[in-house]
Amino acid sequence: MSVIQDEIGFSIDMTVRNEWRNVDLLRTSVQNCFTAVFADVDGCHAIAMVTGELLENALKYGDWLGGDRAMFRLRVHGTKNNVVTVSVQNPLKESDANAQALLTAIEWINSFPKPETAYRARMMQIAQSEEDAAPSRLGLVRIAFEGNCRLAARVDNSTVIVTAALDLSAA
Amino acid sequence: MENLQSGDLTIEVADVDGVFKCWWKGKSNERNPPEILKPWFEKLLAAVGEKGTIEMHFEKIEHFNSSTITALIRLIQICRKSNIKLAMVYDQTLKWQRLSFDALRVFEKNDELFSLRFA
Repeated sequence: MSVIQDEIGFSIDMTVRNEWRNVDLLRTSVQNCFTAVFADVDGCHAIAMVTGELLENALKYGDWLGGDRAMFRLRVHGTKNNVVTVSVQNPLKESDANAQALLTAIEWINSFPKPETAYRARMMQIAQSEEDAAPSRLGLVRIAFEGNCRLAARVDNSTVIVTAALDLSAA
Repeated sequence: MENLQSGDLTIEVADVDGVFKCWWKGKSNERNPPEILKPWFEKLLAAVGEKGTIEMHFEKIEHFNSSTITALIRLIQICRKSNIKLAMVYDQTLKWQRLSFDALRVFEKNDELFSLRFA
């Protein structure tokens, strides 16, 4: 399958206001943009889902009281080798438990040989846990599984950047 | 039993020969879907009663976030405990639905209280 055929690739890079309704506005915008360019509807839906889940996590766990709101940023970047990278940056206190929880969650997901196994394991954990016990963090593992993504995160200078790399050629 | 209408999500419900069929439409994209879904599920379970049957139809839904999946996992658990049959029906021609719902097969057991099927 060849999704990205041109030599130039593509890039979206924008700051985002920290309002919940922007998640769906951006998710659908990204989906519409990619649908206009590529014939791969499933791939476009996956990119949009990844964008939505990363934005939701940023809004839920970002530091929106003391942090710099201008640091809320969405980047979607693609190259001719069929890899699309979705990155969301948001303010976060480095001492915040959310930062460590995020890094731990990604490390846990990446420790599985297949993201599908991690997804099923997380679902079983949720089913066995007390309701509302803790953030489910199902979004991250959904990104890995449904988006067929490799996840990474970097905490630096009071911001966190979570990156999901989708290999569309492996779909 | 009344339909659910909240934000971009609508769930239409009808009692069809004793089976409560629920059609999900639009998008489930709220910040905390369980806050909206849980009270509605509770009313649905009360209306269905023990040994009743629920069919959740997702063929027409455009998108749901992962928090909605968490709410669905809770529903599966509650239905099983309440001895209520729950079937989820999805569109297997849509890859995202196939991935989301096939993964829920981990909750299928031989008790027939939870099942997944294609539209």
